[in-house]
Amino acid sequence: MQENILKIINIVLENRSKKRLESITNEMNLRNDIGFDSLDLAELTVRIEAEYDIDIFEDGIVNTVGEILEKLESL
Amino acid sequence: MNYFLKDINNERLITWDFLIDDITNSSIYSPYCKSADYYTVFKHIILSLLLDEEIILLDSDFTESELINLTGHSDYTSFIKPVGKSKVPILDNKHELIEKLSKCPDKWKITLFTSGTTGIPKKVSHDFKSITRFVKVSERNKNSIWGFAYNPTHMAGIQVFFQALLNGNSIIRLFGLDTQGIYAEIKNNGITHISATPTFYRLLLPCLETFPSVERITSGGEKFNEKTFKQLKSIFPNAKITNVYASTEAGTLFASQNDIFSIRPEFENLIRIENNELLIHRSLMGSTDAEIDEWYHTGDVIDMVTKDPLKFRFVNRKSEMINVGGYKVNPTEVEEALLALPGIKNVRIYPKSNSILGNIICCEVVRSSNQITESSIRAFLQSRIQEYKIPRVIRFVEELSTTRTGKLKRN
Repeated sequence: MQENILKIINIVLENRSKKRLESITNEMNLRNDIGFDSLDLAELTVRIEAEYDIDIFEDGIVNTVGEILEKLESL
Repeated sequence: MNYFLKDINNERLITWDFLIDDITNSSIYSPYCKSADYYTVFKHIILSLLLDEEIILLDSDFTESELINLTGHSDYTSFIKPVGKSKVPILDNKHELIEKLSKCPDKWKITLFTSGTTGIPKKVSHDFKSITRFVKVSERNKNSIWGFAYNPTHMAGIQVFFQALLNGNSIIRLFGLDTQGIYAEIKNNGITHISATPTFYRLLLPCLETFPSVERITSGGEKFNEKTFKQLKSIFPNAKITNVYASTEAGTLFASQNDIFSIRPEFENLIRIENNELLIHRSLMGSTDAEIDEWYHTGDVIDMVTKDPLKFRFVNRKSEMINVGGYKVNPTEVEEALLALPGIKNVRIYPKSNSILGNIICCEVVRSSNQITESSIRAFLQSRIQEYKIPRVIRFVEELSTTRTGKLKRN
């Protein structure tokens, strides 16, 4: 699952001509560490929703990679 | 606090005295202003007021082709002219500056661009009276500290700027900071007023801290749901939360404590409802190149609560504009930009609702060449339109499910 999230994050990064990540950790903050802005976060939700059928931001903002994985694992 | 502006993103800490010195020493002026630096934009507006000259604000991320479409130029160096020493008044302190600015310059106008309905953004100009129609100058407001959460070249940002400027308030930039940075700025500077898009507030949630200094939270566009409203109330326990209705064409028109809007008595005869659509009288509008009828159709559909006095809710928009985090995107403009890319046969832009931005832009593309990929489309669009207008989801299809207008498109 972590690998797939990395793949999705990299698609979003590349779409904005930002640098790909080699790996991700649970502690990584989506905005401060990965550099996502609100447009990127919105795209991330859509891409995750398309694959996992869950809106990760439905109950408020998700800040870290770990929080995304937690949401997906609880499915 | 004696700051005019604090902008940690651009490492700006500007006092009123510095601003006054800087303005007094200005030796050049250009009506065009395109800068990502908030201070440069604000100083430019103040200088234009003192010189009583037009100012044309351009978004800092406009692409070269957008600039040519909008203004006929992409390089503005030839518009720079020297400023006669006698034209800029000698000012001693911020009170003198504010007094001078409040004297309603008569030739001055401010021009900005908004997503037009025809495909390319349109030009809207306001004079001093119409841009400051909702500015409230009072003793009480003199101690306000503003959290600035808008783009400074957009209508909402300009209105916050004038409210703060004419009351001599400090402006603290919040736009573009990360969540922790925003909280820190609110706390460290004792911010009392914030005006922002619903997306801005959504990105602040959830939060365990409280910020008692904030007295007023203003938001525009879509309304908050009950949950967001409650969360905001708990973070800002002393804040009055207000919803406003505003547009680039007319500025702020109505404000409300909940989702029911009423009309101030002085506007009673200038607002009309026709087939549930909100109509605004021409006299409330800024001037545009396009001819407008006596009544301007806003495209906003309302639901009447009471007829006399008139009270209503906004239901949705009749127009096709897509609201992306508070920015209006005209689908036709994006479609036209896409169709200019060789290898694309047909496109359809459509919105998809999104928990962060309200809506995001999606598109279906019919391609005639396999050279066309998601990344080649993006690269092409990045040189032609602003980032928030670029589709975030691109689907390649054999044929469009239907064109946006339901009509067959011929190429």
